Amino acid sequence: MADVDMAGEVNGAGHSWAAKSVEGWIIIVTGLNEETTEEDLQDLFGDYGEVKNLSMALNRRTGYVMGYALIEFPEKEQAEKAVKGTDGTTFLEKTIKTDFAFSKAPSGARSRAPASGARRTGRDREASPGRR
Amino acid sequence: MSTTADLEKDPFYLRYYTGHQGMHGHEFLEFEYSHGRIRYANNSNYRNDSLIRKEMFVGPAVVEELKRIVRESEITKEDDVAWPKKNVVGKQELEVRIDKEHISFETAKIGSLADVNESSDAEGLRVFYYLVQDLKCFIFSLITLHFKIKPIQQ
Repeated sequence: MADVDMAGEVNGAGHSWAAKSVEGWIIIVTGLNEETTEEDLQDLFGDYGEVKNLSMALNRRTGYVMGYALIEFPEKEQAEKAVKGTDGTTFLEKTIKTDFAFSKAPSGARSRAPASGARRTGRDREASPGRR
Repeated sequence: MSTTADLEKDPFYLRYYTGHQGMHGHEFLEFEYSHGRIRYANNSNYRNDSLIRKEMFVGPAVVEELKRIVRESEITKEDDVAWPKKNVVGKQELEVRIDKEHISFETAKIGSLADVNESSDAEGLRVFYYLVQDLKCFIFSLITLHFKIKPIQQ
């Protein structure tokens, strides 16, 4: 259980694992009603701050909403309030889940290791080891 | 809800590759999820574009959604034995380890649904075709928002 980070502070004490993206903080909402529109999400999340980006995918097979959307806020505090205010709530008759999308690298992570190091299948590709 | 630390223990794994060797060298697109990290590589030599490599760490909610997309596709019930074999146009690979299932599929590049419908296992190939599109869409949205770069569609 993520009880430590789910305490719900909006002052930066919670979600200490969340990572900032290049231009803001991205949250993910899942469990969306398949008839949700981007306007619905704009209305819901616009209450917490300026929504700088909103990306809602459609199921390629059915044409209906895939079920998730990614939303960008400029400030962490806005994103945190949006998570706290919408996670586990009912939206368009569905229980939605909301959380930060990106995480900081775990302390033990090897950074920038050549991809071939983690291969589970033997393949003769990846001719550019170590390139940034 | 799991924590980010749990993701490091979770055996869930996903890798997709599409590429070919051609007049512009080895051009490919690949993404891989494992242990909380998504890696992405894209090499297109057309007009001297160079290799792009990105990696990002994602939270439990992104991983759960990735798993849901894979599970709901029921791709692990399929088999690639009757799918078109890789050819000079290139190949696609999909490897998934989820819920004690492990699949490692290889097939030719699929240009359109017409290619799918011509296959002797059209139903299975269709599952693959749509899953790949949905996965690409998700991964590309994450990359676009996180790095503000536009992945190249292949």
